[in-house]
Amino acid sequence: MKANPRDVLTGVHYIDGDVAAGYGVLAAGCKFVAGYPITPSTEAAETFARVAPKGNAMFIQMEDELASISAVIGASFAGVKSMTITSGPGYTLMMEAIGFGAMLETPFVLLNIQRGGPSTGVPTKTGQADMMQSRWGSHGDYEIIAISPDSPQELFDYTIKAFNLAEMYRCPVMIMSDECVGHMTEKVVIPPAEEIELEPRRLYNGPPGEYLPFKPDGDFIPKMVKAGAGYNLYISGHVHDERGYPVTNEEFKSVYLRRLVDKIRRNKDKIIELKEENTDDAEVIVVSYGISSRVAVRGIEKAREKGIKIGNLRLVTVWPFPDEKIIDLAKTTKAFVVPEINYGQIAFEVERCCHGRANVVLVPHSGAGVHNPDDIYDAIVFAAKEKKKIEGIVEYKTKLEKLVFEGGFKLKE
Amino acid sequence: MSPIINAFAQGIKKSGVKPAEVCVPSDIPFEPNVVKQLGVDYFHTIRGRAIVFGTGLKLANPALKVVPVVGDLMTLGGNHFVHASRRNMELLVICVNSFIYKKIGGKSVPSTSPVFSLYSTFEEPFNIPHLGNSCGAIYTARWTALHTDELVNSIAEALNKRGLSVIEILAPGPDYYTGINNIDSNLVKFYHKNSEIKNNEDPRNVGIMPDENIVVGKFTDKERPTFIDVYNAQLSKVIGDKFTPYGPVPTSRTGAGLGTGKNESGGKDG
Repeated sequence: MKANPRDVLTGVHYIDGDVAAGYGVLAAGCKFVAGYPITPSTEAAETFARVAPKGNAMFIQMEDELASISAVIGASFAGVKSMTITSGPGYTLMMEAIGFGAMLETPFVLLNIQRGGPSTGVPTKTGQADMMQSRWGSHGDYEIIAISPDSPQELFDYTIKAFNLAEMYRCPVMIMSDECVGHMTEKVVIPPAEEIELEPRRLYNGPPGEYLPFKPDGDFIPKMVKAGAGYNLYISGHVHDERGYPVTNEEFKSVYLRRLVDKIRRNKDKIIELKEENTDDAEVIVVSYGISSRVAVRGIEKAREKGIKIGNLRLVTVWPFPDEKIIDLAKTTKAFVVPEINYGQIAFEVERCCHGRANVVLVPHSGAGVHNPDDIYDAIVFAAKEKKKIEGIVEYKTKLEKLVFEGGFKLKE
Repeated sequence: MSPIINAFAQGIKKSGVKPAEVCVPSDIPFEPNVVKQLGVDYFHTIRGRAIVFGTGLKLANPALKVVPVVGDLMTLGGNHFVHASRRNMELLVICVNSFIYKKIGGKSVPSTSPVFSLYSTFEEPFNIPHLGNSCGAIYTARWTALHTDELVNSIAEALNKRGLSVIEILAPGPDYYTGINNIDSNLVKFYHKNSEIKNNEDPRNVGIMPDENIVVGKFTDKERPTFIDVYNAQLSKVIGDKFTPYGPVPTSRTGAGLGTGKNESGGKDG
C-alpha cells in the first residue's frame, strides 16, 4: 500500500529530528497520537499535533504517560495506527502498559527521544541509557523491536518503517532516538507519497462466528479485527487461548508465550537491519548505534589513516539483537569497540555473543554530551595493540574521566 | 455481579444501541464470564486504565459506544476519571462499588465506606457522583444492584448522552467477606434496605457516610460540549475552511473507522 499524498509533506526540508519524526508519523498513516509533553521529545508531538488535522488524524494531550500509552493501545484495537512520544521518566511510567501491549499483540509505535538519566537526570541533554529498559522494562517474557536512527532523515524514514514493522509483527516497536538526533537540524528529503510503502493492518475478513483473535496465521502472527465490528471480542492481559479467554495451565502458557517470543525471534533475519562497512578483514570493529555511530565515524577515519584495519557495524535495529552477526564477526576479528552514552548496555550484549573469542572494549559516556571522537580512536588503538585475550569487558577510560579520577581536573563553574 | 450484567444487557437493549458497537474496557475487579455472551467487545485492561483505554477506542472510532466498567475507579484510575470528566469524553463509566476488592481479598478501596471495613480503611470514601459532577461529568447516578428497573433506565439514558456519564452501582462482594466487613451476610439486601431514593439531589449531599442512609438516584443530567465538539470548534477557528471536522462514520465489518464521511479511504487504510 502506498502512502496517502494528503499525509506526505513531499519536498526538501531543513528541520530537526523531532520535527522530521512528526512528519514521518503522519506519512506513515498514523491516525492517533496520545502523549504528555516531556523534554526533549515535545517538538515531535507538537509537530504531529500541528499537521494531524491535515491527515484527519487525532492528537490528544493526555493527563500523563500512563494514560497516553493505554489510549494508544485502545486506539490500535479500534483499528487505527497509533503511537506515543516520550522520554526518560515518561518511558518508565509506560512500562506496565508496554508489557500489556506486547501481551495483547498490539501494533503501536513508541518514540523515545532519550535524555540523560537516571531519574530526572539532564532533561535537555542527550543519553542512550534506556536501551536495556526498552528490551526488559516490563515484567515477564516478551519481545519488542527497537530501532535507533542517527539523523533527522532517518527519524523520518525509520518512523515509517517502525509502523510497518508494528503491523507486520503485531508488536510494540520502539524508536530509540536521543536528544542529540532529535534536536539536530539537517536536510531532510521527504519523497513523493507513491515512493513510500506502507504496511496496512492485516485484517481478518471471514465470518464473525469463526474468528479467533489469537489464532496464528501460518507465520505466528494472528490477524486482527476492528473493535465494534461485531466480532464479540474478548481481549485480556491474562495468558489466553486462541479465543482470548484467560487460561492458567502450564501447557497453554507455554504454547502462548513460545509463540509470543518466537514470532520475533524466528523472524529476526527479516527484521534486523544493519549497516556494515569493511568488517570482512577488520582487526577491530566498532559497534555503535544512534548518535554514537555518527561520532564514531571520525574516530574510525582517524584509525584508518593510521593504517589500522577497522570495520564499522552500525546497529539500526538494536532489538532483536543481531547475535548471529556478532558471533560470526567474532571468529575473524580481534576486538570490538563499543561506544555508547551509558555505562555499558549494548556492549554487554556484544560481549555475550563474543563469548571470549574477541576482546570487547566499552567506551562509556555519562550522557549530557557525546563522545570525544579521540576517545573512540584511542580505544581502537588500544584494542588493535592488545595481544592477549581479556576476559569480560574492558571499560575504557575517556580523557575526561582520566582527568577527573587521576587528578588535574577542575570543574568549571 | 449477575444482576448488574443483566441490567447492563437490558439497558443496551432499551437504549437502541447495537451491542456490536459497544466496547467494554474494564480493569482488575471486573471480569465476569457472562460478558462473553453479551455480544459486546470486551477488553480486560491493566489496573486502573479502563477509562483511558476507552478514550483511545472512542477517539480512534467515534462511532463506538464505549462503556468502561471499573471497580477500583478511585485508586489507580482516579486521575483518569477526573480528566475524562473534565474533557467530557463520550464514555459511560460504570463504577461497580463492591466495597471490597472482589479478587484480591478483603482489602478496601478508597470508595469503601468506613463502616464496612473495620480494620483496614480509616478515611472517608470518595463521593463519586459529586466528584464526577464537579469535574464536568454530564450525568451522574447511583443505584444498588437491587434497583433493577432504575438501573436499566439509567444505563439506557446514559448510553445516549453525549459526554461523560457515571453510574455508581453498589453491589455485594462475595459473602465470604461479609464477616470481615462485619455486616449482614445478605449484602445486597442490606444496601437496598438502607438506601433512600432522592432523584435530583445535589451531589454534594450524597456521600456514603457511617450510620446514615445510602442516597441513591439520578442526581444530575445536563449538556456540555464533548471533547470532539471542542476539538472541532477550536481547530475550525484556527485552520478555517480547510479544516475537515473529526467525527464518526458508520461502523461496518470491514470499514469501522475513523474520521469523517469525507475520508475517501473510509478508514480502511487504518
